Amino acid sequence: MLRLKNGRIYDPAHGVDGEVRDLYIEDGRIVAAPGPGARIDRDIDLAGRVVMGGAIDLHTHIGGGKMNIARALLPEDHRQDPVPTSGGMHAGCGHAAPSTWTTGYRYAEMGYTACFEPAMQPINARHTHLEMGDTPMVDKGAYAMLGSDDFFLRMLASGADQRLINDYVGWTLDASQAMAIKVVNPGGISAFKFNARSLDLDEAHPYYRVTPRQVVQALARAVHDLGVAHPLHVHASNLGVPGNADTTLATMAAAEGLPIHLTHIQFHSYGTEGERKFSSEAERIADAINRMSNVSADVGQVLFGQTVTVSGDSMKQYGNHRHASPDKWVVMDIECDSGCGVVPFKYRDKNFVNALQWAIGLELFLRVGDPWRIFLTTDHPNGAPFTSYPHLIRLLMDKRFRDSKLDEINAEAAAHSQLRSLDREYSLYEIAIMTRAAPARSLGLTDRGHLGERAAADIVVYRDDADREAMFAKPEYVFKDGQLIVRDGKVVNVVNGALHVVKPEYDKGIEKPLKDYFDRYMTVRMEHVRVSNEEVCTCGASKLIPHVCKGRAA
Amino acid sequence: MRRRETACLARHIGAIATRMAWILLNTLHFSLFESSISVSSPSVCCPFCGLLCDDLEIVREGDGVRLERPACPRASRLFSIPDPGQAMIAGLPISLDEACRSAAIILSGSRRPLIGGLGCDVMGHRAALSLAEKLGGVVDHMHGRAQFRNVRAFQDGGWVTTTLSEVRNRADLIVLAGTDASRYPRFFERCLAPASQFGELTRKVVVLGPALSIPAMDGISVSSIPIDAGRLGELFAVMRARLAGMPARAADVAGVPIEQIEALLADMRAARYGVLVWNAAELDFPHADLTIQSAVNLVKDLNQATRWSGLPLGGDDGGTSAAQTCTWQTGYPLRTAYEIAGPHYEPLLFESDRLLKTGEVDALVWISAFDPERTPPAADCPIVVLGRADMRFARAPDVFIPVAVPGVQHVGFLHRMDAVVALPLTAPASSSLPSVAQVLAIIQGETNHAAA
Repeated sequence: MLRLKNGRIYDPAHGVDGEVRDLYIEDGRIVAAPGPGARIDRDIDLAGRVVMGGAIDLHTHIGGGKMNIARALLPEDHRQDPVPTSGGMHAGCGHAAPSTWTTGYRYAEMGYTACFEPAMQPINARHTHLEMGDTPMVDKGAYAMLGSDDFFLRMLASGADQRLINDYVGWTLDASQAMAIKVVNPGGISAFKFNARSLDLDEAHPYYRVTPRQVVQALARAVHDLGVAHPLHVHASNLGVPGNADTTLATMAAAEGLPIHLTHIQFHSYGTEGERKFSSEAERIADAINRMSNVSADVGQVLFGQTVTVSGDSMKQYGNHRHASPDKWVVMDIECDSGCGVVPFKYRDKNFVNALQWAIGLELFLRVGDPWRIFLTTDHPNGAPFTSYPHLIRLLMDKRFRDSKLDEINAEAAAHSQLRSLDREYSLYEIAIMTRAAPARSLGLTDRGHLGERAAADIVVYRDDADREAMFAKPEYVFKDGQLIVRDGKVVNVVNGALHVVKPEYDKGIEKPLKDYFDRYMTVRMEHVRVSNEEVCTCGASKLIPHVCKGRAA
Repeated sequence: MRRRETACLARHIGAIATRMAWILLNTLHFSLFESSISVSSPSVCCPFCGLLCDDLEIVREGDGVRLERPACPRASRLFSIPDPGQAMIAGLPISLDEACRSAAIILSGSRRPLIGGLGCDVMGHRAALSLAEKLGGVVDHMHGRAQFRNVRAFQDGGWVTTTLSEVRNRADLIVLAGTDASRYPRFFERCLAPASQFGELTRKVVVLGPALSIPAMDGISVSSIPIDAGRLGELFAVMRARLAGMPARAADVAGVPIEQIEALLADMRAARYGVLVWNAAELDFPHADLTIQSAVNLVKDLNQATRWSGLPLGGDDGGTSAAQTCTWQTGYPLRTAYEIAGPHYEPLLFESDRLLKTGEVDALVWISAFDPERTPPAADCPIVVLGRADMRFARAPDVFIPVAVPGVQHVGFLHRMDAVVALPLTAPASSSLPSVAQVLAIIQGETNHAAA
């Protein structure tokens, strides 16, 4: 048994805010104090240290076909950050589009113990699981993308019963070994294949005549009915378009009270005020989130420097290609299933639009009152690489630091932004909520993201440094399932994480029309799209952790 | 109140009607819930070209298997499984263990080995990368020359591409540039002949170059424009200039009359979903990457008004999986060396033939588990071959280790040419022969002892 003594515990799931307590760990789990006379094999004194659960990133593009396109596209970026073989760790590359090995090591070195790939195309699921299998250290999971796939749109257009849609969504979760459902530019990826260049929330799809609103509603209902813990994960229509805040608000309302998660909401909080017709609508968006308890969001913070944007949103990525830096870009139509677009991007602090994007993200963090419903993300690598999280945490926790950065950005953007008037500084407790307790709760990970008895012993210990960036960049200890994996910000023990999936109940009768559809129109058999439980471990996951869904009557 | 009830009732009727419409749609277009679907024997996936057709029917025959359908000469030849073969050192029979030990001794003494060929599945590629990392080796695929024509165009400017099912359902104009796709025996049958799910589709196929072996397909018109593949770049450049509104002054370009070019361009602009197909392996002339770049730039430009995509044919002998696996593990799509500072990518310098000719590598591991005809290139350094048991050599390699054929004798994963679809390989004729991954793991383990 391992005892972590005298640490200051931040465990928001149990309302513990900086109390000094001991933690006991046995067989990879946190256990109750064993009482006097128990044998303690190892004691670590953590007096003065900050102790939290392992951090969980619920939206990070760690693997899958489009990340591999981004990697292959950017040798010049990798050259700035080569990673040698060392100890039991593989060589690779870091920065904007890191190799799978490096992704795992660097997440763990920041105290993250679980990462969720938010845009797995069902047809690309096996490839995605192969990549995630080579992503060490952290637990993984993926959200299956639906909403522009032709089978679903055919069903919706023909007015299929919601129960059939639920079965199809259930089948997709099961067959692609996914944790949640994501919709990207609802119907829009498909519309782009019919040469549409935009699709507003209530605009009819050029072929199916259904609207993005209907897509969102049918999928949100299915996710809810199937009892999937994480709400429908929505990358809304009109990403990046000035004035899109109206679409974003309308999308929230379209859920009609059902749970809905708006992802990288920074990219969806734009107005058209001012000379440049580009302005912040962070206040309106934040107010709506504050008002609507069924809505959660992650931010997708922009930070300055070179990165690469990768998205399933082929329509909007095509539209953005003229901003590519360096000037090269990839768009792909994918298998009557989805699409993708990869556009390298350099966010510049002296550029008005980029600087305002930076300020809008921070405004959203500071204006949303409930840290249980707003999550810390950069939409890696779209807003910035995940390795910039410690910097982002300092921006949230340290107003003087934030204001000093505000002084450096494009002056016009700084003048337009209300950021300087926001005095809020996040507390350690709030950081622990938004990076641990809240994502675990949102995903239904009952034994992660907290430090209660029987929780998995994913534990992070930080030195309490006034420089929060330094503090969060280099935890003193990281434990994964009770094993010490990181010491002083360096991997000391290579482990592989598990794969979290949901296993909802659905009527397998859906396979009949689905198989026929695949046989008639696809170049792959339905049976071969399905990734079996056994395959997941062959792909590389240490084990499969299925989460039961409590279906709700339709 | 009454209005609300009426609305409710209307909605209810609407729901019934839409449900019936759904069933009707299924009855008409799908074979449906109510009707039974025929239960066929499980189809297997064919690993022998980049199409990765997964509808093959295989029957067991003695110790091996035979392809029942469809009729594909390539699959038929390669599914017939050889005898277990015999490990050899310099052409003399030896045990598997001894052969692996011998390979390990060669590799432990090597300063920079080339781990080449890479004709295997993802598990084999993982093992090959692991071995290369341990030894400080270089990795390249046997079709690296073709692959890197694409990679260089891709890394320079990116592209717009599509996948096989998109072609099958959407493509109304297919332009084959410098290829008639005959190296992919079932391309037309799988991707162009079948019906589209979006209703009637009038397809046109235009071949830029000789169109010798394009099958006749119902309702699909095929035409060709004779042009030397080496001059396709000129043609595409003029088409781009015309799209940009520049006048055409020449009477012909690369031997093609300007009127014919104008007519083709008009057709291309009128297409709803056009697909430009090329096969980098057939664009075998100096600086062919620039031809590919001009093709993908034309596709980009056409997208300003309508939808076009590229479709690069390729991916044979596990080529797509090799590049994908190397990319996620190192960041680079092969032609990468494991050096002290980390992976080092040099697509021009780390070409297999050049490395062997210049002596910049001092040992070759040649992996070729799909096709016995893909034998190692000539080399002055020691050669270790992991090959199909029926591989024959003009000159015996230093070490030969027969390995199981992925997708026939062992299970695995393989990527299709479009890289999106990775399929499960089965083992309809499972064998006692080890897989590439297993042999490489043994060799890697032995290099510890050999180095000690």
